[in-house]
Amino acid sequence: MTESARTLPGDWYPGTIPPNALLDETAYIETTFSFSRCHSQAPRAFTMGYGASAYLGTMFDIGRIGRLHVGKYALLHGAWITCDTEVTIGDYTLCSWNVVIMDTYRAQSSLAKHRAMLERTSQHTPRRLDSDNPGHPVHISDNVWLGFDVCILPGVQIGEGAIVGARSVVQENVAPYTVVAGNPARFIKHLDPTDSVLQTPSNRS
Amino acid sequence: MSDSIAPVDVPWSEDRLPRNVHIGPNSIISGQHAFKRFFCQKGKGLTLGDHCTMDAVQFAIGESGQVRIGNYCYFSNVVLLCELELRIGNYVIIGWNTTITDADFHPIQPAQRIVDAIACSPTGKGQVRPILKQEPVVIEDDVWIGPSVTILKGITIGAGAFIEPGSVVTGDIPSQSRVIGNPARIVGKEN
Repeated sequence: MTESARTLPGDWYPGTIPPNALLDETAYIETTFSFSRCHSQAPRAFTMGYGASAYLGTMFDIGRIGRLHVGKYALLHGAWITCDTEVTIGDYTLCSWNVVIMDTYRAQSSLAKHRAMLERTSQHTPRRLDSDNPGHPVHISDNVWLGFDVCILPGVQIGEGAIVGARSVVQENVAPYTVVAGNPARFIKHLDPTDSVLQTPSNRS
Repeated sequence: MSDSIAPVDVPWSEDRLPRNVHIGPNSIISGQHAFKRFFCQKGKGLTLGDHCTMDAVQFAIGESGQVRIGNYCYFSNVVLLCELELRIGNYVIIGWNTTITDADFHPIQPAQRIVDAIACSPTGKGQVRPILKQEPVVIEDDVWIGPSVTILKGITIGAGAFIEPGSVVTGDIPSQSRVIGNPARIVGKEN
């Protein structure tokens, strides 16, 4: 694990990986632009496991006390993750392009608070929405597959091995080993968690 | 943490702004593609109020399009496609990857679409395109629009409405209502 701010070789963005981002040395991040909206001051604001990767278009939009964990071998292919409390992404989880995962709407509970937030925002450098509305942690378990353009809303938990179809909007928990799809998402079918036969070019019939 | 991060996007400075863009005090437009598809010829093509944050917003405004945005708005990576009129109130938040359009962009009828495809092609210079359907989009004060939302032509979103992420808005949304889905349906009320 690396513990000081560092740049990435060949990065087009003149940023750094923040010191409180702890990456396994095998983890890959394409550009530090992914951290351009990371404002967290938590000690371990960002952790990324063995063999995990985050490609161009991925954004770790982490608020002042937010913490985001990306499990081992997880693959983020351009997801926007908004995290003001806690977001966890499990091992082997696949995240397609334009996926939105958010543990907060950054919206306020009253009109007066909404306007006050936007008035504060206009005084910040860089500008950011600092909602005082508490978020609801999002947990995405191991071996989940999120299709492109999927939105995961605050408080949602996605069970192990589940698949969320492309363009789905998920506002309720997803049971392990199920397929959900639609906007809003609904149950489509069960998957067989015991199906462990590995199909390779040599054993495929 | 934030001071270690240098902004890569140079805000559009006064001398580089198109002449028909009017920006109020303390408003910011950032992103290298903000005016890449700004073809507007109207005197007031884009009028942006005070204290706004337009972070990586694309102002894709056609020749006779007109966009007006109020005060204290916060848009992040929004695509605004305007051929006619887009009117946005005060204190509006719009999230990442959301698209708002006031036009169909191509004809619905198949034969007219062929004419349009040719007119739009590299060989079609100067050819007149078929008339396209355009209707103004109005977004009233204090509306919250999530990421990955699509808002189609002719729609009015009433004051204080809450559009959940990923919604596809195909009709008017009453004030203070909460909507989700494709097509977007009312699921609750806001305070």
